[in-house]
Amino acid sequence: MGAAAYLSWLVVAMIGIAIFQIARRVLLWRRGRPAEVAWLAGLAALPRRYLVDVHHVVNRDRGASRMHVPVAGGLVAACVLSLAGLIPALTGSRPLWGLVFAGFSAMLIGAGLVTARRYPHKLPRLSAGRYQRLPVLLLAFAAGGAFTAGLTSIGDPLPPLSILTLFVAALGGIGLALEVARGPMRHALAGAFHLVAHPRPDRFGDGRDTALRTIDLDAPKLGVETPVDFPWNRLLGFDACVQCGRCEAACPAFAVGQPLSPKHLIADLARAQSGGDAPAYGGAPYPNARSVGGTGGPDRPIIGENAVIHPDTLWSCTTCRACVEECPMMIEHVDAIIDLRRFQTLELGAVPAKAVDPLDNLRGCDEQNGQPLAARADFAAGMGVPVIRDIGEADILLWLGQGAYDLRYQRTLRALIRLLQMADVDFAILGDEERDCGDLARRLGDEATFQRLALDNIAVLSGYRFKRILTADPHALHVLRNEYQGHGGHYEVIHHAALIAELLESGQLSVGARQDLSVTYHDPCYLGRYNGEFDAPRAVLDWIGVERREMTRSGRRAMCCGGGGGAPVTDIPGDTRIPDLRMAQAKDTDASIVAVACPGCTAMLEGVVGEVPEVRDVAELVLQAVEAGRVAAQPAAGSPPQRVTA
Amino acid sequence: MIAHAEALLKPLTIKGLTIRNRVMSTSHAPGYGVDGKPKERYQLYHAEKAKGGIGLTMFGGSSSVALDSPATPWAQISVADDSVIPYFQSFAERVHGHGAKLMIQLTHMGRRTRWDTDNWLPVKSASPYREPASRSIPKELEHEEIARIVRDFADAARRCKEGGLDGCEISAAHGHLVDQFWSPSVNHRTDQYGGSLQNRMRFGIEVLSAMREAVGDDYVIGIRMSGDEMLKGGLTHEDCVEIAAEYAQRGLVDFLNIIGGQARDDIAHAVSIPNMAFPVAPFLSLPSAIKREVDIPIFHAQRITDLATAARAVHDGHVDMVAMTRAHIADPHLVNKLADGRTDDIRQCVGAGYCIDRIYVGGDALCIQNAATGREATMPHVIARANSAKKAVVVGGGVAGLEAARVLAHRGHDVTLFEKEDRLGGQVNIAARSTWREALSGIPRWLVGQVEKLSVDIRVGVVADEAAIKALDPDIVIVATGGTPNPGHASGSDHAVTTWDILTGAAEPSGTVLLYDEMGQHNAASVAELLAKRGCLVEMATHDLMIAQEIGTTNLPVHLRELYKLGVVMTPNMELIEIYPEGNRLIAALRNTMTDAEEERVVDHVVVEYGTLPQDDLHFALKDGASNRGLTDHRALVAGEPQPEGGEGYALYRIGDAVAGRNIHAAIYDALRLCKDL
Repeated sequence: MGAAAYLSWLVVAMIGIAIFQIARRVLLWRRGRPAEVAWLAGLAALPRRYLVDVHHVVNRDRGASRMHVPVAGGLVAACVLSLAGLIPALTGSRPLWGLVFAGFSAMLIGAGLVTARRYPHKLPRLSAGRYQRLPVLLLAFAAGGAFTAGLTSIGDPLPPLSILTLFVAALGGIGLALEVARGPMRHALAGAFHLVAHPRPDRFGDGRDTALRTIDLDAPKLGVETPVDFPWNRLLGFDACVQCGRCEAACPAFAVGQPLSPKHLIADLARAQSGGDAPAYGGAPYPNARSVGGTGGPDRPIIGENAVIHPDTLWSCTTCRACVEECPMMIEHVDAIIDLRRFQTLELGAVPAKAVDPLDNLRGCDEQNGQPLAARADFAAGMGVPVIRDIGEADILLWLGQGAYDLRYQRTLRALIRLLQMADVDFAILGDEERDCGDLARRLGDEATFQRLALDNIAVLSGYRFKRILTADPHALHVLRNEYQGHGGHYEVIHHAALIAELLESGQLSVGARQDLSVTYHDPCYLGRYNGEFDAPRAVLDWIGVERREMTRSGRRAMCCGGGGGAPVTDIPGDTRIPDLRMAQAKDTDASIVAVACPGCTAMLEGVVGEVPEVRDVAELVLQAVEAGRVAAQPAAGSPPQRVTA
Repeated sequence: MIAHAEALLKPLTIKGLTIRNRVMSTSHAPGYGVDGKPKERYQLYHAEKAKGGIGLTMFGGSSSVALDSPATPWAQISVADDSVIPYFQSFAERVHGHGAKLMIQLTHMGRRTRWDTDNWLPVKSASPYREPASRSIPKELEHEEIARIVRDFADAARRCKEGGLDGCEISAAHGHLVDQFWSPSVNHRTDQYGGSLQNRMRFGIEVLSAMREAVGDDYVIGIRMSGDEMLKGGLTHEDCVEIAAEYAQRGLVDFLNIIGGQARDDIAHAVSIPNMAFPVAPFLSLPSAIKREVDIPIFHAQRITDLATAARAVHDGHVDMVAMTRAHIADPHLVNKLADGRTDDIRQCVGAGYCIDRIYVGGDALCIQNAATGREATMPHVIARANSAKKAVVVGGGVAGLEAARVLAHRGHDVTLFEKEDRLGGQVNIAARSTWREALSGIPRWLVGQVEKLSVDIRVGVVADEAAIKALDPDIVIVATGGTPNPGHASGSDHAVTTWDILTGAAEPSGTVLLYDEMGQHNAASVAELLAKRGCLVEMATHDLMIAQEIGTTNLPVHLRELYKLGVVMTPNMELIEIYPEGNRLIAALRNTMTDAEEERVVDHVVVEYGTLPQDDLHFALKDGASNRGLTDHRALVAGEPQPEGGEGYALYRIGDAVAGRNIHAAIYDALRLCKDL
């Protein structure tokens, strides 16, 4: 029997310490609000969630997966095999220790890769501080373990050396186990628990679950003020963070110097649970950080100038979900932000100054700028668009959305209406019965106004017969399709790009010659990440024959325009503006046109000055192509005017 | 971005008639009527505005309802019998096809017309007082005649409705019969139609009541009226408010179309149709004041040439519909350009009054800068691309060259534009230097903006010689080199400077100046004003019957007003025959064209205006290498066909003043007409 036998006991000790350490966190989580968790299903799904869903995200950064597979796999394998050494019959088994050696060796390779990410210079998105110890501990445990097991497997020729390597392994191993409460190793245990008890189990296995959860407006406290106001499994989720910084790298607000980093925010939420004894945050500070008092605690307010997180951080978020999309630990940053906003808005009335009027207007006028609902369809006067009240039913109900009040987006909507008319689509609008869909109110935390608007809209919609709701506004699409369900509204909702794709496919619309244009498509967050629609707009662009170029960040990983989550009305200043950054990315493709499919993106990108690509909605580009086809098919000037549906 | 543009793009509903936006064109007389009917040209002119997004277009300014109100002056429409109805129907179908609404103005001109045309019936009015503008002495209307005219109005309204028009207005502005009854300056009757304002309003009330009865309550009827005649003894603002309120309150009218002033004589006429000498929207306060007193929509036109002013007028609540009539003559697509976010592409009316001035001398309305307006059957407002791209060189960056470059670039050709000066714009830059004519600069400004946007290769400060042009190996060469001042034919003309010299600053006279003009156009009149404003004692002499004889109705009075104010001595019927120095001064010899008597003036300077002579050296240098020997095929040009091709070398064309000195419209029309088919 060699020194390796003590490895088994070292692992036992480590497990003991880890359990003790994580128990301290469990006690904190247990103070959170109750949450319904399907334990058995969660446990059953754990391997698949970890090996498929998590790995899929991790693997987007090949370097990370090449690092994590050996280091974690090696660690787990080496420890499990070491435990096998506790079985007396196996304690002296040299083959067993050979396998343990193999496990530790794999871990050692991984630990080397971990080290390379941090030394001599760490990747910018990684946290420093405590996290810089991690490679040392991993290397010590892996190397010590490997040598110890290896020496034992060849008969322990140099016992003093084995004792030394065992000692090194013990230092590393105990150090790692101690890190389970407050250090990087917490992510291993909390992450596993998080995968089991995840608040959005439907997102796993290629599923999608992006609708905000509704809250009971009669509850004694609305939204989240203190850590314990979060459901316990969300507190657990914050602890799962390994501070890899992928969210930070993807965050548009961070990129333009607004005081938000999703990583920092999640770390702050984890720290807030712990209270005063939390270790210092080792990552990059919030850009242009506002100073805060910084005292946290399970029962202390999270948001405030004298709390852990400054309100400007909270209000910088565009709810674009880029962070959620990137997070390998499946943390739901946006849910946390909205829960925090709900308390600020509903309980404190503490919304940013510029958001006061829009919310007041939504409450009083059902429209964020206080414009009459009857004026929503003004832009279409003379186009002969039927109002469903007058005809009772239609195949398609066209939901106009907030863009109908915007001079620029009216062009898009007119183009869409012309296309529908050319394709003989049976459609109608709600006219003055269309209220704001509630997206803005909900993202700004005004759940009460959202719910009221949703119920009013659902009541109106229930009075008419239609097959599908069509909208050119992905925000409206998202709430109508996904968030009205919580209030009894179940609709088939289609985005205009998808409908146009159908009309082109079916031949109801036909286009002229190839359009000699280079176009880059900007994915709207609420269409893409929120609703998984990446293909239809691209299919439409391909159909009309433009040269399509992709930005470096596109599809799932597209960058936000800055227009979501109420960010344009909260208007938290940074060094530059998100749309400027996004437009620069579009410009980098050398495309002459940036194609959009959302009124928010249109407004934000149109606001960028200078020599930039022209902003055109997909519908406008299609109309241009369809009209080009018509002109080609008809005699030119001098002929009598053609009849246009009026 | 135009502030409150959304205010213009809101629909307006009048009695169930929804007008898609707040921009309209008021009824006017473009001189396009044929036999008293709005035929194809007239309809296409309005259909173009409808295509361009206008909400409401009104046609037929002063359309006649009665035989004793002839339609011939200004080639107007007669609604005095049913034969016009089919034309209304096709007209309405054309305009409705583009989503716009169509209305007409009905009127009886009363004394404000001629007796020596159409039916040779004497003109009629409330009282037999002559109007200076029309110079007709009217017969006082008898009660039976009043009743007959009331019926005529009612019948005309029925024809409008049967013709599918969306509504009509009666004219009680500019001194027509209804306001001849209203105005104490005309109505001296002592019966129930004269005396008190109540009595003077009676005729109009009877007219509108009869029209209402004929077409029913749901048909839109409005009235065009003044908000203040601004005339001693005329209708005051208070009178006008009272009339407006009374008619509105009685439910006789569904909208009021308010103007400021009247048109009883030349200067009043010029003020009521304000040209570029006036600020924008000079009378907006009048409809605004009336809007406060009534609860029906208010329309208003009068030099609202830009969308920013229009948006302010509507957004701030001064008016409900803003009429941009001349603005649509300059650019019939302005509403679509606003809605499409292309306001930079709007060709803005400069207020030259070229359109309206032509109709008062029996011509047709044409835009000084947009040669397609009124020629929709043959000239495109949107230039189509050519089938194949060619290399084109345009020499000369005046308005002819700029228009040629613009049209050729829209055709898809590769265009290089040479201008020897440092700045594009040519002679218009010079003309725009004189006092209130500054707004002319808007013409080249738009053209320059367009050619820059169309990526024309613009080379300013470059004299294009034969070698430079041939080096580009062009398929098309357009010579638009313009003209240079004609020094004239008087003996000793080298002692004179030209109006160009004054405007360019090459000569800066002081003391006494004799300005001699053989053109009768703005050129000399505006230079006379400029010199007088700079302190010169100016005598303006001309060969013509009167000073500035060729300037039109809405511009001439403004020139004369300024020249009188400045003490310019005006001497018509004189020919300049000789100039010679005496000491350090000049003697100018003038000959009276009627008597042959000669007179002399001792002056410090003589300034002459004889128009321009073509600057054609380059053209003749290029002629031998040209496949067409530099001649434009007139038959193809007039037929709207491409110029004949063939032969070796480039095709060479000469346009604008480089051919013969004419005017801005001729230069632009030369360019558009030729280049649209190249």
